[in-house]
Amino acid sequence: MKTLTLKLLRDLWRLRSQALAIALVIAAASATLVLSLSVHASLKNTQEMYYTQNRFADVFTDFKRAPRGIIERIESLDGVSVAQGRIKQYVTIDKPDTVEPLRALILSVEDQGTSVLNRLLIKDGRGPDLYAAGEVVVDDSFAKANGFAIGDTLSATIYGTKQDLTIVGRGLAPDYIWAMAPGDLIADDTRFGVLWMGRKALEAVTDRTEAITSISLKLNGQAREQEVVRQLDQILEPYGSAGAYGRDDHISHAFIINELVQLKAMAYSMPPIFLSVACFLVYIVLGRLIRTERSRIGLLKAFGYSSAAITWHYLSFAMVIAFCGVVMGVALGAWLGGEIMQLYMVHYRFPFSYYSVSPGVMGIAAVLSNAAALLGAFGGVRSVALLTPAVAMAPAAPAVYKTGWVERFGIIMNAGGIGNMVTRHLARWPVRSAMTSFGVAMALGLLFSVLQFSDGTSEVIENYYFRSQKQDMSVSLIEPRSPAVIHDFYKLPGVIKVEPRRSVSAKLRNGPRARRTGIEGRPPDGTLAALIDRSGRHQRMPERGLTLSAVLAKKLRVEIGDVVTVEVLEGHHRVVDLPVAMVIKEYVGERAYASLETVAQLTGDGSGATRLQLKIDPARRDDLMRALKSTPAVLGVSERSSERVKFSQMIDENINTFMTFFTVFSAIIVIGVVYNSARIIFSERAHELATLRVLGYTRTEVGSILLGEIAILVFLALPTGCVFGYAFGSLISELVSSDLFRMPFSPARSTYGSAMILVLVASAASAIVVGKRVLELDMVRVLKARD
Amino acid sequence: MTVSMDFQARDLHKQYGEGAAAVHALRGLSFDINAGEVLVFLGPSGSGKSTLLNIIGGLDRASSGALDFRGQDLMALSDTALTRYRRRNIGFVFQFYNLIPSLTAAENVRLVTDIAADPLPAQDVLAQVGLSGRTSHYPAQLSGGEQQRVAVARAIAKRPDILLCDEPTGALDSQTGITVLEVLAQANRAYGTTLIIITHNSGIGAMADRVFHFLDGDIARIEHNDTRIAPTEINW
Repeated sequence: MKTLTLKLLRDLWRLRSQALAIALVIAAASATLVLSLSVHASLKNTQEMYYTQNRFADVFTDFKRAPRGIIERIESLDGVSVAQGRIKQYVTIDKPDTVEPLRALILSVEDQGTSVLNRLLIKDGRGPDLYAAGEVVVDDSFAKANGFAIGDTLSATIYGTKQDLTIVGRGLAPDYIWAMAPGDLIADDTRFGVLWMGRKALEAVTDRTEAITSISLKLNGQAREQEVVRQLDQILEPYGSAGAYGRDDHISHAFIINELVQLKAMAYSMPPIFLSVACFLVYIVLGRLIRTERSRIGLLKAFGYSSAAITWHYLSFAMVIAFCGVVMGVALGAWLGGEIMQLYMVHYRFPFSYYSVSPGVMGIAAVLSNAAALLGAFGGVRSVALLTPAVAMAPAAPAVYKTGWVERFGIIMNAGGIGNMVTRHLARWPVRSAMTSFGVAMALGLLFSVLQFSDGTSEVIENYYFRSQKQDMSVSLIEPRSPAVIHDFYKLPGVIKVEPRRSVSAKLRNGPRARRTGIEGRPPDGTLAALIDRSGRHQRMPERGLTLSAVLAKKLRVEIGDVVTVEVLEGHHRVVDLPVAMVIKEYVGERAYASLETVAQLTGDGSGATRLQLKIDPARRDDLMRALKSTPAVLGVSERSSERVKFSQMIDENINTFMTFFTVFSAIIVIGVVYNSARIIFSERAHELATLRVLGYTRTEVGSILLGEIAILVFLALPTGCVFGYAFGSLISELVSSDLFRMPFSPARSTYGSAMILVLVASAASAIVVGKRVLELDMVRVLKARD
Repeated sequence: MTVSMDFQARDLHKQYGEGAAAVHALRGLSFDINAGEVLVFLGPSGSGKSTLLNIIGGLDRASSGALDFRGQDLMALSDTALTRYRRRNIGFVFQFYNLIPSLTAAENVRLVTDIAADPLPAQDVLAQVGLSGRTSHYPAQLSGGEQQRVAVARAIAKRPDILLCDEPTGALDSQTGITVLEVLAQANRAYGTTLIIITHNSGIGAMADRVFHFLDGDIARIEHNDTRIAPTEINW
């Protein structure tokens, strides 16, 4: 081994704690990159593989009833490669040991669970027999959440008929990766699931011999989706079509896409910020670290080593640190990514998880981290390598201090000897001090931008579950019922107030811009829901016109007073122009609202209710549930409190898991910066500090110089860091917002406080570790050594 | 007349390392140092003079033996007590000045007067060393001789009992060196400060009451001067 290589290894060992701190900063940034990119790519790959293997359809449509023969006609349309028809039927399940009614969607499949599209994948057991009455495959997550096993019998009400269902298998399909009951905001596997039954058996029980209620299509390469949708709507209109739609409006697909959009936004916003902060820090820290090697570099030059050889030596030093950082980061990122993918497997119904870290991702992390380290090292070594050996070997000339504004400030503040030493040292190297402070500020900004996410999610929960929703329960009905049904519900135990809701699917159009959505009809004088406008004020439901969520209004490019064309996708398929009466603030989905009367005009079938909102006496909740379970009109029940808990859980497990990792990484960066800055300040001033000890200053007094300088740099970083945090935070919140879910940027004041406290604690801990070196100062050496 | 005693050393040993690798820096020194005395330590490098100075100054501890300062056992003092001892009793002057570059001449002196019990005013001491016009200059703006005079002013400003000078003229030319020695001698005369100077320059020995000649970690001999000469008369 060459001596210089040996020196490299020894130097790394000598400076191990500083090298480790730098490597950890690089590791944190690389881990963020690897974690975000690999999870995004893996989820996307898993989804694509599953879609391909199980032939997820491209276009979907539901209707009341059509003869099976229509499938062939549709299959012959231009652009359609395969068409699949099936029966879809909502059913209720009576689970004896629970008071809540369970809902399920039952789908027809061919013999043994086969189908041409949206293929059922049997995880356990077997597919249902084509004719066997009551044989079903249960959706895997629904089965797990409710403890259903193969061989169990479920008591169901299908199309008004009581029927026992025997579970013959557990399975999953690509069109129900995310299964959510209609009208719900959140998936709840304990209350809603999917079942598959043999086609002939389901035809018999629903009285739909050789009939279907739903069609899915696979398009060929040349197909234009919009054109196929148009033709499909035309063909199916006489059959009560609710309008065909592509994958973008398919709820399960939309959830996955939403997750992918958020992941992609995170992958493309967080890691670049982390990496640029880390690179900047590595640049400063490594540069300063190498400048402290001045006399050693001079000695090497005196021995005859060329500037190039010395430069290479120190660049290697930087690269070894960067390499170690990247290896740690990639390993950590890959491990955490794998863990997060496991979480996705719990939330989404995927049959397999395809997790991998691509070499490209590792390459990006390695190249960026090494570039930062090299740049920092080069800056440090260049300034020294240019000196003649004699000059380099001699200590740097004493710094020339001059009386300036700091001096005057010192006089005003009566800073004393130690105070003057601290402030003048900072002022003597304003750029260096500013860079260090800037580095801490960036790390603080990073930490804040991550911490403020929980404020954003709290705002979503607060806005939706507390300010907008006032009901305790939401009851979905099997089919629209007349308002008289309300009186029946008042008779149920514990019901204090009932309000009807009527939802209708519609396409809203403004010129070329169109969005498919649901319009929810509410009574204008209702009290179980609130509309909150963009300024946060509660508003009454306008009697006429549409109320749009802000995001929907933005997409349609309409404002209050503009007219929107509503194409109703059910009933008489009316087309009505309605003015926008109000725009409200909503973070989830893109929905529209109108008065019950307006919705009745749209549907043209009188003012029915598809859903009832209830205010109840909590003490009688179980009695009410039992009563609802035995009410034939009820399809399902959701409770605001349990939905809120589920929603928080989902956020905790998805976004907050990421954010916890990012918080830890940000903290590592803060520690890395402060620790290294403190170490460098210490090595630059060790001589002075030891002199003071010789003169009779105590360790505490001497330590206060070191800590004082760091404290000033950190305190100066606090306001700047909050500004960075505001900028990073608003940018990231904007980026992770999607059609389905918008992340508001509404940081609480306490979050600024928490971020600052975390930075102060991390800084204090790092500074104290370095401050302990004051205890080991070699006073004797000072007597002999030149400054 | 009774002469008060500052230091009493008995069988002082200082050893670095253990076993075969052990280095004996001091090999059983015994001596007394009287208050107000001027001592010069002479001897080749590695003979033990700096080690002894460090032990006397409370920067290091002897491995064995006894060292009393005015009846107080220095060997028994804790680190904190040693810091207090340095703070109250000891003034240091170093070969390379060891001034704080970020503080002016006056502030460097005040660094010590701030923590001393009964110090002299910084301006007065600087005037005493002939630097009244340079008090607000930073070290980088002063010559080597001026820097060393600031260092001496810093050492004497707190009126220490003992002034320890390790090669105070080592980095200076003869004229500047003599000026510095004059300031030290004046402090000895004016305040009765015990002055111990380490030097390689045997001529400086003539300004001392006694000269300790060091060799291989021991005091080879002690030379008594009946009369001390003034620094200006030193044969450099």
